[in-house]
Amino acid sequence: MFERALNIFWILLGGAAAAYAWTLGLVGSSGPDSGLFPFISALIVMAAGVVLLLRSPREAVAPDFPRGAALGRVLGVAAGLAFMAVSIPYLGFAVAGFVTMIILLRAVEKSGWLFSIALAFISVVVVVWLFGRVLGMTLPRGPWGW
Amino acid sequence: MKSVIAVALLSALLATPAVAQGADAKAELGKVKPKDFPTGPIEYTVVYPAGGGMDVTARLLAKHVEKWSGDKIVVNNRTGGAGMVGHAYLATQAKPDGYTVGVIANLMWGDAMLRAQGRWAYTDLEPIGYLNSDPLIWVGPTDGPYKGMSVKQIVQIAKDKPNTVRAATVPGSMWDYILDQVEANSGAKFLRVPFQGGGAGINALAGGNVDIAQGFFSEFRGLADAGKVAPLGVAAPERLSFLKDTPTMNEALGGNEYQWIIIRFAVVPKGTPADRKAYLGAAVQAAMKDPELVAEYLKAGVYFDPKLTDPARMEANLKAYADAEREFYQKTGRLK
Amino acid sequence: MDAFGGLLTGFGVILTPENLYLCFLGSLIGTLVGVLPGVGPLAALALLLPITFTLTPVGGMVMLASIFYGAMYGGSTTSILLNIPGEAASVVTCLDGHQMAKQGRAGAALGIAAIGSFVAGTLGVIVMTFFAPAIAAVAIRFGPPENFAVMVLGVICTLYMIAGSLVKGVLMVALGFLTAAIGIDVVNGRERFTFGSIDLSAGIELLAVVIGLFGVTEVLNNVERVVKSTVVTDRIRGLWPTLADWRASWRPMLRGSGLGFFLGLVPGGGPVTASFMSYALEKRISAHPERFGNGAIEGVAGPESANNAAVAGSIIPVLSLGIPGNPVTALLLGALVIHGVQPGPLFITQRPDLFWGIVASMYVGNVFLLLLNLPLVGLWAQLLRIPYRVLFPVVLLLSVVGTYSANKNVFDLWVMLGFGLLGYVLHKLAYDLAPFVIALVLAPLLEQSLRQSLAMSPDGAMIFLQRPGTALMLTACAVLVALMFRRTKKS
Repeated sequence: MFERALNIFWILLGGAAAAYAWTLGLVGSSGPDSGLFPFISALIVMAAGVVLLLRSPREAVAPDFPRGAALGRVLGVAAGLAFMAVSIPYLGFAVAGFVTMIILLRAVEKSGWLFSIALAFISVVVVVWLFGRVLGMTLPRGPWGW
Repeated sequence: MKSVIAVALLSALLATPAVAQGADAKAELGKVKPKDFPTGPIEYTVVYPAGGGMDVTARLLAKHVEKWSGDKIVVNNRTGGAGMVGHAYLATQAKPDGYTVGVIANLMWGDAMLRAQGRWAYTDLEPIGYLNSDPLIWVGPTDGPYKGMSVKQIVQIAKDKPNTVRAATVPGSMWDYILDQVEANSGAKFLRVPFQGGGAGINALAGGNVDIAQGFFSEFRGLADAGKVAPLGVAAPERLSFLKDTPTMNEALGGNEYQWIIIRFAVVPKGTPADRKAYLGAAVQAAMKDPELVAEYLKAGVYFDPKLTDPARMEANLKAYADAEREFYQKTGRLK
Repeated sequence: MDAFGGLLTGFGVILTPENLYLCFLGSLIGTLVGVLPGVGPLAALALLLPITFTLTPVGGMVMLASIFYGAMYGGSTTSILLNIPGEAASVVTCLDGHQMAKQGRAGAALGIAAIGSFVAGTLGVIVMTFFAPAIAAVAIRFGPPENFAVMVLGVICTLYMIAGSLVKGVLMVALGFLTAAIGIDVVNGRERFTFGSIDLSAGIELLAVVIGLFGVTEVLNNVERVVKSTVVTDRIRGLWPTLADWRASWRPMLRGSGLGFFLGLVPGGGPVTASFMSYALEKRISAHPERFGNGAIEGVAGPESANNAAVAGSIIPVLSLGIPGNPVTALLLGALVIHGVQPGPLFITQRPDLFWGIVASMYVGNVFLLLLNLPLVGLWAQLLRIPYRVLFPVVLLLSVVGTYSANKNVFDLWVMLGFGLLGYVLHKLAYDLAPFVIALVLAPLLEQSLRQSLAMSPDGAMIFLQRPGTALMLTACAVLVALMFRRTKKS
């Protein structure tokens, strides 16, 4: 069922992209225009989606999506990364990284509080030192200046 | 080892007078330094990839600003979209707290006027110091059917046999505009081959894949010295001191509108506190007075526009150039 | 000055304490930085460029060059150990290298990668020494039609590489092409698929895709399982390649070297293209192609050699002509200019000390890197003993920084996460992810060179037949496609 939904998604995606590419123009004065390559690619995506959809009853691969705790862990990692991306501009890399690591360590792998805080602190300090000082990269700062 | 020591001693000797006059400049700079600023490194943002002309300019500048001000400068490349991403970052996302300085070129005006779609304007970036100017130069082959010809001769051929002379161009920028001008005024028609930058076009010229290319002196100097390409015309108001034998495009084609020059200058985002802006500007000025930096820039084949070297008149004259560019866009229908 | 005289000059220049030290330092820094996920040679060079300002031109260039290929050596480490590519050129090493690590053979994989890199790097420099001017004279004539032919070859190689369902593989390639179209069309400056977003107008950052699709996906796969104590549950079986490994690897190393060197010369080619073309080649000519993707050592030996040979190949146009073929060599050129040296065809005659010094430093650097990396193999392999619950947050943190280092744009982190999730789902549904990445790399170059070729040709598409090199390569492509059909018809 999931596979079927994905194939339909490919068909829709390909169709929408092809339509958009059409509006960009396919052929210009000296050969292909902006839209030609995306148009052909989108058509191929759509065609492949159709072929897969037609084939799927025979070659169904049952995907083993995680349930329960396993799903929680996977979503936990995703949530941690999302939190990182959202908060870096406001909290700065150091704090965002620290909080994210604690989330990951606690929620996903159930490490102890002391261990999580210590590891998160050390990791963030080392990374910030390595990239920020040694390599001279400007990592985003929070409102507290670091 | 001995030679290293000798070189070091010699440099120290030669540098002493510079150091002596430098002490005053450093003191001057110290006077305008705001309290508690900077407490960390200042970012010089370059919107083009590392190693390119703009990047080299910025790094040389940063090196000397560090020398004079003692502040740590980190050069950061924010690339993408042929400069668009970096310009948009400076105009809309960079915090106006004095820790971000953009080292950009007047190509920013094109992005602001034609491509920003109202998201930002060129007035969101305030100039604090002029660096140098680099004119676009037409470059021709030293091999093949077009070798040894002048600009006028090649344009004539492009007119007599339209769509046969292959010209390297960078779409959507002054490379295209000057070709438009030449074609409009002479009735010539070039076969335009798009590239991502001037340098790529010149390399194609050296390989015989295009017939005429355009770029900056620093991009073709090595090949020109080796006799693989030859400069034909300079799109500047006057001949360049290091290319005395190359006519200006105006001279070559008879006109006065063939002026396409990259103007490099430093900016800060609008809203930066006035004292910090003044300090950052003064630091740039101090570096620009350093004869070492001037010499290194001259080696790269730039010139210094007298209209912009005076800090008092720089901002007004830059605005005048920007307005002239806007007029050009309106005249050619690119801007309503 | 002939090659031997030049080499003598070069070794005279490099074999001084300071220059040797700088070469070693650059190799060390390059290796360490290359190990960091996402921080590849370009980022390393850009970040470390200011350090070289206080050095002499020779010292500075030697250090930068050794950082360049040091990073290529180091990049395979995290690919093999953690399935996180050190940079885009190490993506292919993830495919079989990490599988080998999971089988307890990380040491062998790392060892073969290091030795393959050494062989390729040294061979590359030898060819460079004797043939640089001749090669440069040919390389400069490479124009858009030749580039197009090479890219077509690349796409065909990608199709060969597809593991599993061909339809799904083709879909991934087409999707890669589509994704590559997001951004500004370089040929005419128009925005495509950007929907008014400034972030999208820069295009989708390759590094973010690669780290997401391989690194993040791998982490997501791993945290699923409860009983996951370390990356490797088997005993780590020996740290050195076995004799069987050697026998299997030496020919891929040589093939990879040749292929990589050639591709390094092509503008826009370079280590990334070289690595996966080598993988496709090895898979194609292997007697047991089904082993690829499950820990075939040829899949490590070939690509790792190829990407190092590509370094030597890409440096030739820089030193002999002053022409950069990719962003890293462009940066090396910029560094030359900052040091007051004028690159160009006269560089070799005006500054033979610098030219030959850099060449000699590449010999020396490769030796240093081999000596550095082999002992480190044992150290890196121990990394796999760290409990995964400790390892993965650190790995993710490094991935975030590595991705961020590309454009300093938080948007790339979203791209990384998005592709991580996409990769996770697609992997479950038996989609092969590598072709997507390769298509993403090839598509812009393919499209650009095609349209440039047509723009410069008064006769339209005839230009592909009029130019001998192009015609030859395209014929080879047609033959390969025909062979592919024959093979599938047979089976």
